[in-house]
Amino acid sequence: MMNVFKPSGTFSPVPGDAVSEVSSQTARWKEETFAPAAAGKKDRKKFVTDTGIAIEPLYTPAHLERIDFDYLRDVGFPGEYPFTRGERPGMNRTDPFVVSAYSGFGDAEICNGRFRKLIEIGTEQILVALDLPTQCGYDSDHEMATAEVGNVGVAIDTLADMEILFDGIPADSIKRIGTLGNSIGPIVLALYAALGEKQGIAWDRYTVNLQNDPLKEYIARGTQILPPAPAAKLASDAVAWCVEHAPNWSAMTVCVNHLNAGGAGSSMGTAIALANARHYIDLLLAQGYTIDQVAPLLHMFPDERHDFFVSVANLRALRRIWARMMKEQYGATTQEAMTCHTTVYGHGQEALAEPLNNITRTAFGTLAYVLGGASYVYLAGYDESVSTPNENSARVALRTLQILANEHGFTDTIDPLGGSYFVETLTAQVERQILDGMAQIEQVGGALSAISTGFARRVMTEGAVRRQRAIDSGDRPWVTVNMWPQKPDVPNTAFRGDPKAEGRQLARLAQVKSTRDQKRVKAALTEVERATAEDRNVVPSVLEAVRAYATIGEIVDIWRRRFGAFVPSTDF
Amino acid sequence: MSTPSIELPRRRKIRVLIAKVGLDGHDVGARVVARGLLDAGMEVIYSGLRRTNEEVVRAAIEEDVDWVGVSILSGAHRVLLPKLRKLLDESGANDIRILAGGIIPQEDIPELHASGVDKIFLSGTPIAEIVDYIVKETKHA
Repeated sequence: MMNVFKPSGTFSPVPGDAVSEVSSQTARWKEETFAPAAAGKKDRKKFVTDTGIAIEPLYTPAHLERIDFDYLRDVGFPGEYPFTRGERPGMNRTDPFVVSAYSGFGDAEICNGRFRKLIEIGTEQILVALDLPTQCGYDSDHEMATAEVGNVGVAIDTLADMEILFDGIPADSIKRIGTLGNSIGPIVLALYAALGEKQGIAWDRYTVNLQNDPLKEYIARGTQILPPAPAAKLASDAVAWCVEHAPNWSAMTVCVNHLNAGGAGSSMGTAIALANARHYIDLLLAQGYTIDQVAPLLHMFPDERHDFFVSVANLRALRRIWARMMKEQYGATTQEAMTCHTTVYGHGQEALAEPLNNITRTAFGTLAYVLGGASYVYLAGYDESVSTPNENSARVALRTLQILANEHGFTDTIDPLGGSYFVETLTAQVERQILDGMAQIEQVGGALSAISTGFARRVMTEGAVRRQRAIDSGDRPWVTVNMWPQKPDVPNTAFRGDPKAEGRQLARLAQVKSTRDQKRVKAALTEVERATAEDRNVVPSVLEAVRAYATIGEIVDIWRRRFGAFVPSTDF
Repeated sequence: MSTPSIELPRRRKIRVLIAKVGLDGHDVGARVVARGLLDAGMEVIYSGLRRTNEEVVRAAIEEDVDWVGVSILSGAHRVLLPKLRKLLDESGANDIRILAGGIIPQEDIPELHASGVDKIFLSGTPIAEIVDYIVKETKHA
């Protein structure tokens, strides 16, 4: 187990022996000018970030002295180590962030229409939202799929659904296509590879982005199927296959967002995600791949929804930590292996009451990511907390991204908040929080132990309870919730998709199952079983099974038999 | 956390099973509520993720709970909640009452009440409100 390296700066209260002039002037201002003005005034709120950093009334060069700020060492230039200001040389000025949409509902037929519309109005990347049965490895006709088919995403059972989903949308016609499929990573990878074959487009002509991060499911998101260790191994198989066959694809997106939303907070969430990333990387290195091969295929999915400036700081700190981790710990030698590509999903403190206000909240939340230099940017629909976005909210989300990319001059210069006394101080503080979190996880024994010992779950629940208290007490203001409170409202349109979608899906599944080449399916599934038992990379056999129209459930059942099912935790 | 509004002598503590049925994996709300009820002095059992209604009914009876609180955010409430009531009644557990929490459209609420769900708390409800309701409504012999 490698040690966590030291953060930038020393955090000494004062560097050196003498108190600098600006430091003593800052202290003087606070005491003589600010304090009398603030005296007797009750604090409007608790001036502390969701991650627990106290926010000062003013930041000056004195704060930079306290973090031992060294521009060339810790910040540098875009496209150069340690990539604090951006992982690409031109960032948003030359190549604005990729305008992305997360979409899926009903069955492939109705969903295809939405995709075409999204692309027509400028979407550059589509991440397919899958329904829960698909994500959990159940076919649409399984008992566990009752009342869930097509609900929170589109139902996919076989390659036939993918063909319909992307009918008229060549895989190379947009910048990236992809999906979540965290617990079925090798299967969704195979589905996208087989889709290219069906469309006659070579793998190097299009780019697939997978989330494929099962470990966070056990902590936050809840679509886990198998025990964590084999799940992580199967996910790493997908990365390994891409190294060999599609090195331009991003085979894994390691997620902070669900961890943060679930209560961990963005700094501890980032620490857990980085520990998870290290677990996947270590599995791949143990198989003989090099860090220079593996790291470029991994993306990060940072997240912060409460504090605008923490968002900016988190992205800057994450790029720096990633670069140092790859270079100093893993011995990466290429620029590409040291750069952290980030996918973000714009949120705010969305409320159920008066949902149109969520447009404002998510726009500000996303602006922070844009200023922080995220590469691939999604934005939540204003109605997303109650349902899959409708066509109107999906359009507003997309237009908001286009406005952020093109209006107001937000993207004219690189890392516009870099050098701010506040943002640089916060970046160093957030970096330190993340590294401290990583050290704690190392202490419990790494990513898998953080799950098995209940460490991660405790962090989540405690954080969620702390947040609830901050809202109930008013420490964290929330308009229409604890300020000017309004009754929450769930519109009647929530979860009212196409009522015929489930029927169509079941009919299609039955038809595919009865018309496919049964011998070929059986042989392919036997080979998946053999590859799994012999601990080989499962993707080649899964790809053949997918080509033969084996269902996702049939493939996952092989793994359920082999590894057993996960045991849900009853801790809270 | 506010103190319960009415303090009556009880034969025992209020027992609540917080349950996740179906495939919905979002359980932060369920866990925060479970923690809140525990802090308010109740005995709380959490089912863990992805339970069937049958498993929930079995646990509710074995644990002799007063309430089953079901958290659903995936839209499957219209099918799953009436079925839970039916299964509880068929198992002779008519006295165990159902609370639901999560994302549930207004339009569905009367229908759910009619099918035997006692009370629905939408996401964002303060914990104190849930505690007060349970304390007030629990009937002990």
